[in-house]
Amino acid sequence: MMRTIEILLVIIIITAAFLISAFFAVLPSPRQVSPINLRRLALTTLQTMDVDYDLSQTVFKSSDDPAWGGLQIALSACLPPNVIYNMTVYEVQSGNQLYTVIKSISNAENLGISSDSATYLAASSNVTFKVTPEKIGESQGGVTLYILNCSDANGWWITGYTAQSLAEDLKQALSPYFKSTIMVQNTTQLAKILNGTALQNETVQNAVVINTEGEAVPIPAGYYASSGVGYDSTHTSYARYCHTLGLRVRQYNWTWISIVGYPLYYVSNTGLFPSEQNTWGIYGMKNVEAAGLNAFLRGIDNQSYTYDATWITGEPGIVYLSSQASYYCNYYGIYPSPYQTATRALPDSILSTYHLSQSFAIFNKVGNWMAGSVYKNAGSGSFIALGLTRSSDIRLASLGLLCAYKPRLFRSDYTVNGTSRLVVLQLGQAGSV
Amino acid sequence: MTGATIDHMISAIVFIGAILVFINLFNQTIQTAIIYQRHRYLATKCSDLLDNMLLNPGYPIEWGKGNCTPTSFGLQDPEFTEYRLSPFSLMRLNYSAGAPVYYPKTGQYYSNITMGFGKSLLVPFNEVINYSIASRLLGVNGTYGFSLTITPIITVSISELQSNPLTLSVDVKGAGFPLANANLSYCFITVKPTGGAGAYPAYTVDYGASFTNGEGSAVLSFPSFDATQESYVLIAYAHLSGLVGVGYHESVLYDESYVVPLISDFATGTVAIAHSWDVHGGSNPAEISYNATFVLLTEEFTLREMPLDNSTGKIGKINYGEGQPYNNITIPTYNPGLLVITYRKSAQESGVVLMPWGISSMAFPVSFGADSSGKEWVTTDLRQVTVNNIAYQARLSLWNMEGY
Repeated sequence: MMRTIEILLVIIIITAAFLISAFFAVLPSPRQVSPINLRRLALTTLQTMDVDYDLSQTVFKSSDDPAWGGLQIALSACLPPNVIYNMTVYEVQSGNQLYTVIKSISNAENLGISSDSATYLAASSNVTFKVTPEKIGESQGGVTLYILNCSDANGWWITGYTAQSLAEDLKQALSPYFKSTIMVQNTTQLAKILNGTALQNETVQNAVVINTEGEAVPIPAGYYASSGVGYDSTHTSYARYCHTLGLRVRQYNWTWISIVGYPLYYVSNTGLFPSEQNTWGIYGMKNVEAAGLNAFLRGIDNQSYTYDATWITGEPGIVYLSSQASYYCNYYGIYPSPYQTATRALPDSILSTYHLSQSFAIFNKVGNWMAGSVYKNAGSGSFIALGLTRSSDIRLASLGLLCAYKPRLFRSDYTVNGTSRLVVLQLGQAGSV
Repeated sequence: MTGATIDHMISAIVFIGAILVFINLFNQTIQTAIIYQRHRYLATKCSDLLDNMLLNPGYPIEWGKGNCTPTSFGLQDPEFTEYRLSPFSLMRLNYSAGAPVYYPKTGQYYSNITMGFGKSLLVPFNEVINYSIASRLLGVNGTYGFSLTITPIITVSISELQSNPLTLSVDVKGAGFPLANANLSYCFITVKPTGGAGAYPAYTVDYGASFTNGEGSAVLSFPSFDATQESYVLIAYAHLSGLVGVGYHESVLYDESYVVPLISDFATGTVAIAHSWDVHGGSNPAEISYNATFVLLTEEFTLREMPLDNSTGKIGKINYGEGQPYNNITIPTYNPGLLVITYRKSAQESGVVLMPWGISSMAFPVSFGADSSGKEWVTTDLRQVTVNNIAYQARLSLWNMEGY
């Protein structure tokens, strides 16, 4: 009898244990077991309503504006019928109180036992978010950008564009980064800067010179076309001018930019060569062929002039932007095609021959070929060459230049007082659990 | 002694019985908790999988505009971030809710989204991504089954109140509420079956704007148009506070023979123009001529015609039966829009058909995946998405293949 009583006591204890454990082991409600992700639904609802910036415009309107009614109708229309909501808009402030309620709209008195919310920061359309670029070489007095826009010279391999249109685009894209941007309007002005004479009181030293004529380079008449300076009478070639050009790049520590094709393949001056053409029917232009680039590279390395017509470029075909260049595409907001066709890529042998270092690779190297790079001479002067096939994409030239100097961008603050409003959308589900 | 033995036996039996009862009680609680836990895991998986589909464009990122099979599955528009979906990737999903269509002249079956007469999107099976490929690319093959539906949030219904002069009623509704005071912009295309036998149909395009009233309705009147004499189509966009919806209505005078556009090649934008008798059968087939144009939605929510060049094959004639080849049209853009094809048999017998180029242009729904009916536990999750600015709701249903 005693054992039976003991067992009954055990049963009572286990029953108590079960009841206690059942009391604490509360199973979740079915809605909690398999919930709709209300937080995501709220966020995507806000994003949908702001897809054309309608939400951002409405939340900055006065609280009695009819647009709020439209917003409530849109909210009710886009959420499932069983979803109830409360949307509250806050003014973002500085100081002790960070948020002040501006307006609240809802379709229910309360959101039930479980709800979730998402927040969305709306920026006023009246606010301009400025990006202020750093001026290149600002600490040393600033760098000048010369864009060759010579009306008395013709271009080649800039098919579909004119040198003038390219020059305008380059000016628009790059002038914010330079202390002064000078359009070199003719070869006479080019001769002046080659002489070291400023055109508009700018600094000639350390300047950047972009040649928009493609494979051709403007040549001033007179001194720079004369024998021994610009003209090689022995070989009847203006390759000598390219050598002089290289010397000037070195002398003034310029960065010379060739935007497409074989650099310095032709010289152009419509007044100097009125009846000469480049064998493709473009008058005012004369071939120097491969001797031009070789002479230029000798000049930039301060080597004496010799006539060398050896073709040095190669055709690696498709080339891809380097990872660093891709990074700077995002940084500067310049988005050329990430792959290009290179038919005039320079060989890496020029690095040792002319004491150049590759300070930035725009494209990944393919074999021994460098399709686009920034070259810096050990002594002075730099050279950017884009050995791509026509037509030119000046975004690549702009990218190469910015990558060479890497000016910083200073962005304005988003959360300035009165320019941002915080939208909180809280969702719940109507009906039972 | 005997009493003690009986006492022990009774107590042992009672004890064992009680233990069994309690084991059963505890077991039920634990079983329920485990199943709840599995269901909760399934809900989390559903949310993750839905985000995985909607927040990455797949690879290659432009797979929706080509013919390749992606090596990674995703529906995001590669030109945007967040929940913006590619109208072309969605076109390449095999529509599970429509019966496939067979076209003997190409020898292919087509995924079929048809929203009424003359409003269809037919994509060949060799161009669509089917459920098994998507399931494999998402890493759920054999473990989870899913069904993805992407439906427009805003419904724009258009009905004819009066034929002569034409008066149309436009009703705009959202998922849970009518869209009151919404802006309406519309494009009204009328077929002009002028000329003698064999001539190509001409068309006129008119644009307009209006508003819905407090009940989300608007009435559009065309005083000089008689719908009993000419075929027409009205395409209307409604927008309010970021929500954009599209609707369409057409009326044709002749539907015994009409053109059926079939996607041929996404990469080149080629659309085959087939005779309806060859695709859907019917009675009294006849040769018909057609004239196509392309209409796209601008950023200002207005519609703009982008006429096709003659070189794209915009006009032609097609006949039915063997020995009568189908024609091709090339759509020269990847801007989403509508291919509008007017057709005629005679001056009194004409019509018009539509095909979206980009799923959002006609707010076509997408239903992709397996059938969830009969599954023991199916969890769902929702996202609001936009497809070329048209508001859609994406709903994923997910279930475990093991049954719980």
